[in-house]
Amino acid sequence: MSPMWGSVEQYSTIHWSWAIAIYLFLAGLSSGSIIVALLVKWNRHERSNSSIWDAMIKAGAVVAPTAIFLGLFLLVIDLGRPFSFYWLLVRYNITSVMSLGVLFLLIYTPIVVVFMLLVFERNVIKHPILAPLEGLINLVKSFHSYAKIIEYFLFVAALCVGSYTGFLLSALYAIPLWNSPLLPVLFLTSSLSSGVAVNILIGLLFFKSTINTESIKYLLVLDTRVILTELPLLALFFIGMFYAGGDAPQAARMALTEGFWAGIFWLGVIGVGLGLPLLTVIVALRSHVYRVGYIIINSMVVILGVLMLRYYIIYAGQIYLG
Amino acid sequence: MPKQYRLLYDENLCIGCQACSVACRVENSVPDNFFRLQVHVQTKGVFPNLGMSYERLSCMMCENPPCVSVCPTHASFQSKDGLVHIDEKTCITCKYCILACPYHARFVNPLKNVVEKCTFCYDTRVSKELLPACVSTCPTEALSFGDMRQKGSLVEQKSQKEVLVFPKAHLGTKPKVAFIPSRKGVKV
Ligand code: SF4
Ligand code: SF4
Repeated sequence: MSPMWGSVEQYSTIHWSWAIAIYLFLAGLSSGSIIVALLVKWNRHERSNSSIWDAMIKAGAVVAPTAIFLGLFLLVIDLGRPFSFYWLLVRYNITSVMSLGVLFLLIYTPIVVVFMLLVFERNVIKHPILAPLEGLINLVKSFHSYAKIIEYFLFVAALCVGSYTGFLLSALYAIPLWNSPLLPVLFLTSSLSSGVAVNILIGLLFFKSTINTESIKYLLVLDTRVILTELPLLALFFIGMFYAGGDAPQAARMALTEGFWAGIFWLGVIGVGLGLPLLTVIVALRSHVYRVGYIIINSMVVILGVLMLRYYIIYAGQIYLG
Repeated sequence: MPKQYRLLYDENLCIGCQACSVACRVENSVPDNFFRLQVHVQTKGVFPNLGMSYERLSCMMCENPPCVSVCPTHASFQSKDGLVHIDEKTCITCKYCILACPYHARFVNPLKNVVEKCTFCYDTRVSKELLPACVSTCPTEALSFGDMRQKGSLVEQKSQKEVLVFPKAHLGTKPKVAFIPSRKGVKV
């Protein structure tokens, strides 16, 4: 029997779907991988000679721009009116996190591209197609004395990009699972985790010759710490909801116990994304078996876990409203 | 002087006939399977103490509209009369406002690919001193609409006399649609 008031479908539509989940993941991946690259550069890269960049820095320089461009592409095609997207660049609403995000991305994306050009300067100059970029590189290099400042700037911009996606969701008090002040922190930590993993993965696969085992160890230790922060954060996230007013406790209860998405949370996010990497670290890495196979699989598992966290938050948030 | 509109929905008079919803569809050419307005009717209580509960689902024309503050292009905006409207030209259909609205009042019109919702029939009726289509159609006069600044008007008088309920008042959105709850009540 259909209700006499007609279809109720519009009250339960998923308005932000897979494209947004993947965008959130890619924005986090991009910012995480550039943050990790910068950390390696500052803490682990003794020689400042740019011709011998550490593989971790190279990986960040490739992943960060690629991921953000892919993400932005998804973001625009997901609009109901993709060709009107320019309004985002023309009109700004400072109370809208989406507008703030556009501003952060406008600052972040070009710097990330410049960073890539600098890291791969030699390859760029070698290729005739890319030759026109040489002028740009030389221009950027003329600011060499400001390099450190620009890096700090990039670092801050990456922090903004990595966390604004959390604020984007947490600003919506109509959706209990999103309206949490912890969401931006949670997104930022998991972005860092995916950044570590993707840099190790890409570094091991494509820049083997410049691998520095010291920086890999440094990153694996960093990742263990990040994961150990993420677990209590997730716990706090739900505990906070149980003590919040309105629909939040009910929404939290459903999101943790009901249906497909609860399964994704326990098996995917907690089990695969956080549990498995911790286990790997404890079992394999503690006994100093830094086997490449382990590390590669471990990285992929971490990345998958972060992707599932974004999917879970996006879908469960819109489904379990309390 | 700016107006202070209010729409009153009296549960005691509503019979759940859906005439308002139909009038809205006709007035605003709302596409099939989408609604700017629905009245949900539910049977509550345990036999023999049964009763109906009615709920109007539509834009509440919030005084503090979250849909406006999140809109990145100002396509959702508040007029000087305090009504919330959508500028079809600058709406990019990012759907951020749909997610921000605690009343599920907004949807994407699949024919035009822009976000829509109840407008109190501002363009076609209210700006011409007519009542919104739903109000003028209601056979039991369960709906009343008007400017609260106009002393002695029906809305103003009823608002003085009755206990008003503002949906999800705890959210602080300050709706301009108010309910007059059923006086009979249902023993649950
Ligand atoms: S009910 Fe929803 S759409 Fe209408 S003004 Fe309030 S928040 Fe905006
Ligand atoms: S869908 Fe349109 S009205 Fe809604 S927030 Fe996006 S641009 Fe604004």
